[in-house]
Amino acid sequence: MSWMGEWGRRMAMLFDRQRFRDDLDAEMRLHMELRRRQQMERGLGESEALAAAHRRFGSMYSIKERSQRMWGWGWLESLMQDMVYGVRGLKRSPGISAVALLSLALGIGANTAIFSLIDAVLLRSLPVKDPGRLVMLGDAQANGITIQFGRTDLYSYPVYRALQKQNQVFSDMAAIFSLPNDVYGYVDEGGQQEPMHVQLVSGTYFETLGVQAQVGRLLRDGDDDSEGDHPVAVVSDSWWKRRMERDPAVLGKTLRIGSTVFSIAGVAPKEFFGTKVGKSPDIWIPLSMMRAVPPHWGSYSDAKVASLYLIGRLKPDVTAAQAAANMTLLFRQIFAPMVGDFPYDPSVEKNTELLKHATVLLTPMATGISDLRHEFSDPLRFLMAVVALVLIIACANIANLLLARSTARARELAVRQALGAGRSRIVRQLLTESLVLAAAGGALGVVLAAAGSRLLVRLVSTGGDALPLDVSIHAPLLAFTLAVTVATALLFGAIPAFRATRLQLTDSLKSGRGATGAATKGVLAKALIVSQVAISLVLMVSAWLFLRSLVNLTHVDTGFNRENILLFQVDVSSAGYQSEDPRLPNLYRQTQERVAALPGVVAASFSDFTFHEGSWNGGIFVQGFDNNGEVNVKHNIVGQGYFATMGIPIVEGRAFGSQDTPTSPKVAIISEHVAKTLFPAGSPIGRHYSPDTRKQAGEFEVVGVAKDVKFGSLDEPTDWLDYYPLAQGSNYLGDFEVRYTGDAGAVTSAVRKTIHEIDPGLPVTHVETMDERIADTTVDESLVAELCWFFGLLAAFLSGIGIYGLMSYLVSRRANEIGIRMALGAERGHVQWLVMREIAVLVTAGLAAGVPIALIGGRYVEKMLFGLKPSDPVSLVAAVVLVLMIAAGAGLLPARRAARVEPAEALRCE
Amino acid sequence: MNRDEIPPGTLYLLVLKALGLRGELHGYEIAEFIEHSSDNVLQVEEGSLYPALQRMLIKGWVTAKWGVTAGNRRARYYQLTAAGRKQLAVELSQFERVIGAVTRVIQTA
Repeated sequence: MSWMGEWGRRMAMLFDRQRFRDDLDAEMRLHMELRRRQQMERGLGESEALAAAHRRFGSMYSIKERSQRMWGWGWLESLMQDMVYGVRGLKRSPGISAVALLSLALGIGANTAIFSLIDAVLLRSLPVKDPGRLVMLGDAQANGITIQFGRTDLYSYPVYRALQKQNQVFSDMAAIFSLPNDVYGYVDEGGQQEPMHVQLVSGTYFETLGVQAQVGRLLRDGDDDSEGDHPVAVVSDSWWKRRMERDPAVLGKTLRIGSTVFSIAGVAPKEFFGTKVGKSPDIWIPLSMMRAVPPHWGSYSDAKVASLYLIGRLKPDVTAAQAAANMTLLFRQIFAPMVGDFPYDPSVEKNTELLKHATVLLTPMATGISDLRHEFSDPLRFLMAVVALVLIIACANIANLLLARSTARARELAVRQALGAGRSRIVRQLLTESLVLAAAGGALGVVLAAAGSRLLVRLVSTGGDALPLDVSIHAPLLAFTLAVTVATALLFGAIPAFRATRLQLTDSLKSGRGATGAATKGVLAKALIVSQVAISLVLMVSAWLFLRSLVNLTHVDTGFNRENILLFQVDVSSAGYQSEDPRLPNLYRQTQERVAALPGVVAASFSDFTFHEGSWNGGIFVQGFDNNGEVNVKHNIVGQGYFATMGIPIVEGRAFGSQDTPTSPKVAIISEHVAKTLFPAGSPIGRHYSPDTRKQAGEFEVVGVAKDVKFGSLDEPTDWLDYYPLAQGSNYLGDFEVRYTGDAGAVTSAVRKTIHEIDPGLPVTHVETMDERIADTTVDESLVAELCWFFGLLAAFLSGIGIYGLMSYLVSRRANEIGIRMALGAERGHVQWLVMREIAVLVTAGLAAGVPIALIGGRYVEKMLFGLKPSDPVSLVAAVVLVLMIAAGAGLLPARRAARVEPAEALRCE
Repeated sequence: MNRDEIPPGTLYLLVLKALGLRGELHGYEIAEFIEHSSDNVLQVEEGSLYPALQRMLIKGWVTAKWGVTAGNRRARYYQLTAAGRKQLAVELSQFERVIGAVTRVIQTA
């Protein structure tokens, strides 16, 4: 309490300094006056009395200073003084200061922007209770639905319940469907169909996370105790805000999804975006309703169908290792009776063996699940290193600038030291000046970062909406920026400050220029230039590497004709069609035929998958040839016109045709790679095989071989693919591809119109061209290449400024020498060469240092490159040439100036 | 005439005591009061008095307000606060303890 009063008084004094000073002044004057009178009364003359009073009083100034020091603000006052000094110093050379400020702002801004992404994607903890105690079973690298035996990363619902009941290590466990259900539904029955991102979770989800409702209630275990009986939903804060304008009557609302009406039970708290970074569900629905939510994936009761991520909250006294051991034990116990149940590999011995070694790994869940993390962590780390290097180059520039200035100020500093200013006081002042510069740069940098990080998120987002990542400026981010700023100031301020105060006082005072200082300063400044050139080279090499890698990637032969294909998503499940719906074959056939007949349409086809969508895969078993079925072949179900639409050549046999019907013999088309590696030598046409099960090895007859195509991504090795005709199956197919000529826009609307004529309730979404989709898959690579170029050029440019600055300075110092040389008959060209030679030496040294660094550093980016080695000579040479050009450009101006020196003038100067 | 410096640490005690006895004094009066009451043995340095008063203001032991002297001049009068009174007691007992200890040491010698 009393210290608060004391601080209050101190603050009051700080803000009302002038009044306190005046008061003190007035009362001391009175004191002096009364003392003078007293002396006069004792018989002294007027002037003697005054002198006596003064003598007794001592230095009024020092009393004042000591009195004010009692307020405890001395440090602040001198800091303010230094800051005013610093600002004045910056204003004295506005051009240089602006360059310094801008390069700092760019450097700090870039660092903050990249860090904000790193923070959002890699570092930030989930907004839940005690996230450090949450663990996940497996590593969340896979997602989907599988009936493979012994998976320890995806789990079935019955296994989840068994683990939940039997474990001794978790206070609670929750399950999360590993795929999002992106559906089209209605709010309150009528109205428009609208997109909804649904996440299916166990009833224990929110309790396990320790998240509380902001309105109504969240899901509870009771919502998840019997299949199909609990049509309740929890909505996210952002959906509530976006769709309902935070209407408190949200609890009375219903959602119709598929053919089920869900009632909204509550709203999740504002900061809770789910457990997956970069994916924010609108709606959470209990797993008990999984068959009601399109596309009706997964199984509530089949222990073989694994599709869930499991998470658990560790009991207070349990370690992660103990929990993993307990999970592994339970896992083996639960699966032991099921070794013979899995249909696709009925070898009981193999499964038993597999189970013996099955181990459940636990991954910390504190920062949530994220595909983004996997995808972006390498590029982000790399970019962080790049921007840090850029900042170092900017620092080197400013250090050089301050070195030059401190040489110019040598006399001022020498005078101050001679007058008794302590070295530490002067160092502190110089550092404060650096800090002022850094703080201004940092403030500007935060502004740049706020815009920059948003731009970055947009750049990495594909398909319309920006990724829901929170990259807003917040406290930890500002702390990071502050730390960077202070570190920057120390980095570029410390050397000049200490050097400036280590003067030979007498020398400096005598000549006004530190003769000894200049020589060492030259060496230091040159060392800074050399390191700038080296770093620039490293950045330029990586810029070239990533550019060439991107070019390689975009020129990859996809195997299909990527031009003039339009991709549509047709969500039949949201339109109320059931799996195995008898209306579906007709819907598909009719749509394909009518669209194919449209003007501007060359061919059209439904398919289960197309480029970059994930896969359904499994082993295949060829009649009379044992390939063990261990290779995962990616299966696709396609319409008749698929190969024509995609432009995939059939290299042998035939494509699917109207002869392939539900009643005709089952047929398949395999890719060249499958034919070569999984089939016996000779033509595969007419051979029989079966996907997935050995028992029916002869089910499908191969009628054609299709050219190998890229399926998941451009940089994948040749994959194993096979195709089955749509006419012989009854699955949901969501992809619709159209090969067109002419205007894509006109064809798009015609296709939409035709589909809506066939079924007005069918949502047609995610329309894009194949070229756009392919470009989306290389968005990381493009971003890295673009940013690397931007920062590489920025770094080279900053180094150029550094070279220019240093050379200008050296030329002006050597004007005298140059004058003499020219008076003695040196050619102008020779003088110019003299300067350029010096630059050449510095740049060569920088390049010589940079090349090995680039080669060593290259190892760390090797796996981010496609189709070239980090030691790629073309990139290395191109980078060297570019750095040389920039250096030459920067050196030319001072060299010209040197050549223009008038001997007479230069000599007169001295 | 030689006068003795105020023993270190006792300035606060003396100022507090002066204000305690007189209620309200300005800076010069405090100095004079201490000199007179000590029969001109103790001389208060202005160089210590004003910093000390500032510190006592910050600590909240005294408050200051502007008033007018008998000679009709504006002067800044200091007054003890409740905290000041408490502090006076503390300083007094501390001083007595020290003096007592010193005395005992001297007597044993």
